[in-house]
Amino acid sequence: MKRVRKILSDVLSIRENTITDKTSPSNTETWDSFNALMIVSELEREFKISFTFEEIAEVTCVGDITKALEKRGIKLHDK
Amino acid sequence: MPTLSEYLARSKKIERTKHSKHQKGNNKSLKIALLSSSTIQALKEVLSVKCHDAFIKADVYLSGYNQYVQEILNKKSGIYKFNPDIVFLFIDTISLLGNAYFRPYKDSSMWGKKWVNDKKEEIIALLDTLSKKLSGRIVVHNFEVPTFSPLGIAETREESGFIESIRGLNVALQDFYKNSQQIFVFDYELFCSYIGKDRMRDDKMYYIADYKINPQYIPALSEGYMAYIKPTASIIKKCLVLDLDNTLWGGIIGEDGLAGIKLGPTPEGRPFWEFQNYILSLRDRGIILAINSRNNPRDALEVFQKHPSMILKEEHFASVKINWNDKVDNMRSIANELGIGLSSMVFIDDDPSNREIIKRSLPEVLVVDLPSDPSLYLKAVKEINDFNVLQITREDLKKGEMYLDQKKRKELLSSSSTLEDYFKKLETVVVVQKANIPNIPRIAQLTQKTNQFNLTTKRYTEKEISNMVDKGYLVVSVSVKDKFGDNGIVGVVIVERKNNIWRIDTLLLSCRLIGRGVEKVLLGYVLNLAKKEDADIVVGVYIPTEKNMMTKDFYKQNNFCEKKVKGEIVWEHNLQDKYVYPDFLTVEEK
Repeated sequence: MKRVRKILSDVLSIRENTITDKTSPSNTETWDSFNALMIVSELEREFKISFTFEEIAEVTCVGDITKALEKRGIKLHDK
Repeated sequence: MPTLSEYLARSKKIERTKHSKHQKGNNKSLKIALLSSSTIQALKEVLSVKCHDAFIKADVYLSGYNQYVQEILNKKSGIYKFNPDIVFLFIDTISLLGNAYFRPYKDSSMWGKKWVNDKKEEIIALLDTLSKKLSGRIVVHNFEVPTFSPLGIAETREESGFIESIRGLNVALQDFYKNSQQIFVFDYELFCSYIGKDRMRDDKMYYIADYKINPQYIPALSEGYMAYIKPTASIIKKCLVLDLDNTLWGGIIGEDGLAGIKLGPTPEGRPFWEFQNYILSLRDRGIILAINSRNNPRDALEVFQKHPSMILKEEHFASVKINWNDKVDNMRSIANELGIGLSSMVFIDDDPSNREIIKRSLPEVLVVDLPSDPSLYLKAVKEINDFNVLQITREDLKKGEMYLDQKKRKELLSSSSTLEDYFKKLETVVVVQKANIPNIPRIAQLTQKTNQFNLTTKRYTEKEISNMVDKGYLVVSVSVKDKFGDNGIVGVVIVERKNNIWRIDTLLLSCRLIGRGVEKVLLGYVLNLAKKEDADIVVGVYIPTEKNMMTKDFYKQNNFCEKKVKGEIVWEHNLQDKYVYPDFLTVEEK
C-alpha cells in the first residue's frame, strides 16, 4: 500500500497520510483526467501489470484501485 | 532515473518556489515552447525539472492539443506572444499520414519520390512561416518509421514502398536543414529505435488520450530535448576530467603493476579499452581532456608510456594532475591552467566518495555517477549530453591540438627572459575579417561560450548575427596564429553604427588568448575604422557578471573617458589619435 500511496501523493500533490480508500476525484481537487492517466501509467510500471479499459473505467476511488490490484494477486500487506 | 510521478511532484514544488527570492542568482532564464500533433502532457513538467537541475530557469509554453498548425499560421497566436528562445515541433507519423497510415495502399500510386517531395514541401512551408516570425531556435522531430506494412514482406520489393517513403522523408528533411542556422532536426526515429518501438507504444494511452509515446518514456524524450536546450542556454561543458585507477583501466597500478591491470581486448579489459576509445572520440570533436588522480606519478605515467593497449596517451591531455593532493584542489588548478570555468567541467571517477567530495565542494562541476560495473561505463558516458554544440566548428575539431600548442607556448614562456621577448618569439599574426557565411557560426558560438573576456556577455544565435550584419552593424572576427599553430577565430567585436556614433555592442576574446594583446587589435581596428569613416565618437559599456571582472577597466586602460548617461556609466573615445597596435603583433586585414 505504501507504493500506491507514494504514487498518489506524488501525482496528486497530497500528503500520504491523508490518503484513504475513500479518496477520490470528487474530494481531491488535483485528481483530474490527466493525473488519472498518470496514476494508471505509474501503477502499471510499479506493479508490472496492465489494466484493461474496463478496470480503468470502473475506478471511482482509491478503494477501487486497491481492489483492482488485489484481484491481480498483488498483496498490499501494510494496508 | 526518477519515476514519472516523482518528476510530477518535483515540478509542482519548483513551480511553487519559482517566484521566491531564494533561488540561485546565476540561473539562466530560457523560454521553451512545445508544439505537437498529439498529447505530450507531462513533458512540460519533466522539462521544467530537468532544466532546474541544469541551473536553467525555464518558462515552458505548451500549445493546445493538436493546435500546431493554427499556432504557426495565426500571427497573433500564443507562441508569437510568448516569443520563445527555443521551440520543439513534434508531428507524429499517424497525424502526418492520417488515414493513409492505416490503408497506405488504398491508392497504390501514392508513395515514392513525389510523395516525399510533397510532404517535405509542406513541412518546409510551415517551418518557414514559423522561422520568419521567431528569432529563437526551432527543433523539429523527424518521423517514426512504422514497423509494419500491409504488404508484409513484399514491401521491400515494391517500386515505392510505404516504409521506404517515410524513411525518404526523414533523409530529405535532414538534408534540407543540414546548414540551417535556425532549424535543427531532432532524430526522433533514432530515439524510438533506441527505446524500442514496441516498448514505446502504449495502445491504451493512445486510445484513451492520444499519447503516441508511452508517458513512461517522456523523461527520456526530455533528455533528448535537453541536448538542444543546454547549448541554447549557453550551458556547454568543455572539459572532461578523468580519474585513472578503475576508471581508465581495471585495478590499481600502484598495487597490481603494469602486467596486472585490466585493459585491452579481453573480457575484463575490453570495457576500459572501449571506454578509452570513446573518450578519445570526444577529444576528436573538441572536448578538452584532463587527469585528476591520486597516484604515484611515475607508476601512472608508465601505463601511458608502456602499456600496449593504452588508447589514450599523455599528449591527449591538456592538463595532467597525478599527485597526492586533494582532488578538489586539483580540479581548481586544472581550471586555472586551462583558463576555463569550473562550470564547464565534467568529472568522472569510479570512487563514490571522491564524487561526493567534488559534488559538495564544487557544485558547478558536473559529476557523472559512474555505475559500479565497468561494463556499464561506456553506456554511462555516452548518455552525457552536456558536451553538445549545435554546430561543430572548425575550431572545435582542432581544439585538442590547440591545447597542446598551448603547452608548448608555456614552455617558450618559461625559457624567455622577458614577456616582450616571449611575444616576439611567438611571431603572432592576427587576421581581422568581417563576418561572412563561413565564420558566422563561430562568431555566434563565441558569443555564447565566452564568459571571462567579454565586456557585455550578450548571447547571439547565428540568425541574430546575420540580422545584425544586414542591418549595417560592423561584425568582425579575429583569428590568431603563431609559430606553434593556428588558434582559428578567437575574438569578436560587434559595433552598432548610427548617426556617426559607433556603439560597441560586443567585444570578446576566447580565454586561451587572454594576455597576448589581441584585444587591442579588436578595439584598435574599430577605432581606426571609425576615424577613417568620420565617426564622431566610439562608445562602449561594461556590463558586469560574475565572470568578466578582468575586463572592468578595459576602456579606461585604452583612453576612453567615463561619462554618466541617464545614471548609467558609459565610456567614450573621441578618436583624436590613431590607435597603434602592439608592435609584437602582425595584423592582416581581410
